[in-house]
Amino acid sequence: MDQIRGKIDQACRVAEEFTKLYYETVDKRRHLISRLYLDTGLLAWNGNGITGNENILKFMIDLPTTDHVINTLDAQPILDSAVNGQLTFMIQVSGTVRYQDKTPKTFQQNFIVTAQGDKWKIVSDCFRLQEPLNSPSK
Amino acid sequence: MPKQHYNKQQTPWVARDQRDRDFRDFADRRVHFKSNRGGGRKDNKGRDWGNALREHLQDEDVDMGFSASGSGRSNKFNNRGKRGRKGSPMPPSNGKRKLMEGPTNWYKVSLPHGDKFDKEFILKSLMDKMAPSPFWPIAWKVYGTTVTFYVDDYKIAEKLNNLDREIQMPNGFRLFVRVHAGCPNVDMNAATKEKMKLVMAKRYNDATKALDLTRFHADPDLQDCFCALFKPIVFLAVVDIIGENIPQLEALNLYDNKIQVLNYLKKANKKMPNLKILHMGNNKVRELSQLDTLQELQIVDLVLDGNPLCNKFRDQEQYISEVRKRFPKCMKLDGVDLPPPISFDIAEEHHMPAHQQTFLCNVEGGTTVRRFLEQYFLIYDTENRQPLLQAYHEHAVFSMTMAYPYGYGKEKTVPWLNWYATDNRNLLRLQDPERRAKLLKQGQLSVVSFLQEMPQTKHDIHSFTVDLTLFTPLMLCLTVTGMFKELKSGHKIPPLRYFIRTLVIVPAGSGFCISNEVLHVTNAIPDQAKEAFKTTIHTVNSQPQPIANVSSPGPSVPVAAPQHPPAPQIVPDDATKHEMVKQMAAQSGMNLEWSLKCLEETQWDYQRASLVFQNLNAQGIVPPQAFVK
Repeated sequence: MDQIRGKIDQACRVAEEFTKLYYETVDKRRHLISRLYLDTGLLAWNGNGITGNENILKFMIDLPTTDHVINTLDAQPILDSAVNGQLTFMIQVSGTVRYQDKTPKTFQQNFIVTAQGDKWKIVSDCFRLQEPLNSPSK
Repeated sequence: MPKQHYNKQQTPWVARDQRDRDFRDFADRRVHFKSNRGGGRKDNKGRDWGNALREHLQDEDVDMGFSASGSGRSNKFNNRGKRGRKGSPMPPSNGKRKLMEGPTNWYKVSLPHGDKFDKEFILKSLMDKMAPSPFWPIAWKVYGTTVTFYVDDYKIAEKLNNLDREIQMPNGFRLFVRVHAGCPNVDMNAATKEKMKLVMAKRYNDATKALDLTRFHADPDLQDCFCALFKPIVFLAVVDIIGENIPQLEALNLYDNKIQVLNYLKKANKKMPNLKILHMGNNKVRELSQLDTLQELQIVDLVLDGNPLCNKFRDQEQYISEVRKRFPKCMKLDGVDLPPPISFDIAEEHHMPAHQQTFLCNVEGGTTVRRFLEQYFLIYDTENRQPLLQAYHEHAVFSMTMAYPYGYGKEKTVPWLNWYATDNRNLLRLQDPERRAKLLKQGQLSVVSFLQEMPQTKHDIHSFTVDLTLFTPLMLCLTVTGMFKELKSGHKIPPLRYFIRTLVIVPAGSGFCISNEVLHVTNAIPDQAKEAFKTTIHTVNSQPQPIANVSSPGPSVPVAAPQHPPAPQIVPDDATKHEMVKQMAAQSGMNLEWSLKCLEETQWDYQRASLVFQNLNAQGIVPPQAFVK
């Protein structure tokens, strides 16, 4: 039980540090973003899937400039049986993002991050803007 | 002497120090002082009495003007009026006070004793004298014996001022006309708004989607109330009316409305999202930044000519460039076609990929996911969520967060998310590690009992987006978003919520179960709400289909299956069922009806039914009526 408790605390700490770094990188140093993903990492951006950290970098560079503000953050350790004992956390974020000085939009994002050596890497990243399905995102 | 009468009236209204100060001002300016104004005489050193008296008589009108207005504020304006005459050895030849241009360019006209005559009659008399200048009295009102109205033009006001005691009335008296700078207060109520709405409807052209609000306040149908667009409360009401009635509006003409500020129009973008043509010439906007609140509008044709802001630019180039900073699509400014902007080859405008409703990292996983979700929400939307026990791993972990969407915070107009606040595991707000651990629900019973506590729901499965981001033999990870109606949660109207659930799902037995889940709940934003529950969902049986029954076919068993391999389902015959119910009732203490329910929901697996009962009973979830026999 103590072991689980330790993991819970760790998940929270990693989530705080990770999200700070992640959104700073996306907003200000986006060219470095590929370093945060596993080589085989996956990004599902509003339902558009991109596989591999180099492709993710290419995709992200083409997006307009962003300014993210986080409102909520949640994190939990993933059960060992699901990840074969590999230390893995799930992180849930909600907040607002402003594209190129336009009006902010609400977004939600979920990360699966795992320990690879001494670095935390994103296994999968699922991003969704809160908007109606039938109007194209601007 | 009527003069004395007025003076006596004035004295008590003006505070003592104010009076003295006024007096000193006047004394400095060679103007009148009154024999009955006590202390004044002392300050007035070396004053030639005869001269003073002469001036006094000449200035009689001015004095009366003060008295009629009777307020400190008007006095100030009058003082300013005096300054204009300073240095002039003689008062204007007609003996009338000169009217100074006021800051708002609105003027209040009072007609003392005007109540004795018909409105029509007074108007006609004034208009005859004013001709050929047309004028529209605004907000005509009678206070006691005084008629007041407003005009919005200095020249008209000055002309009216000069009509003082020029018009002979039928009763032999000449009509007093007092003019001061000042604008009326706005009384924005439902009746006023209704009137504005009718006037706007009259001025709207449906064919061109254009609304012409030129000199709105001067509309003949708005004469008894004061609806000037330069008053924010009026403009906001106009924007509201547009948003509610003509959101398709494409062209808006605000010509000649004395508008000074616009920076309060924060929601105008949303209320008239299709606006392309904005003409607001001849207003009083001083800075272009006032238009920043309208930046989101895709304006192609803009008129600002006749606003003070136009004089602030070095040259035409700078003016155009500043306008285009705010309205990059603007192709016509002040009626002149603009050359297309020259841009750089590195496009500033980035392309945002369109969203997709579904992403599957593994196409075969699609069926599994779809069926899992269908079953999950089928059960979730019933009153009894206990069957979901089978959908969760023994050590399942669950947590939730909530927040209001941007622009629709906790206001009266949105359904509050208070229910979710208690269990909101927002790590940004929650520092205490104990509390962080406590809000993480651990173990299937703890998870499902929390799900059971959550408000009743009806999900709109057609609003769902699904992202399957991981699909390995060991686990799959999927994120589902969508809308649901919250039922029976004490709100007058069932709130429409938007949720995001991310599930980590692991194989269990011949099916799957959830090992980790994070849920985020928020309100659907109005644009989403328009699409909610649009597709009629085929009627769902009130009794959910038992999960295990669906778990049979095919290799890609898609189901939230029990964690122990399901025994081949042999449905017992009625006699056996009857026996089982009786036995269950005896063992659990529940009545027959609830025992039957429990067995039905566990597909007549007696052992499991008994286990489920024990678990739920231990948590106190089984309702008391289950034990009423």
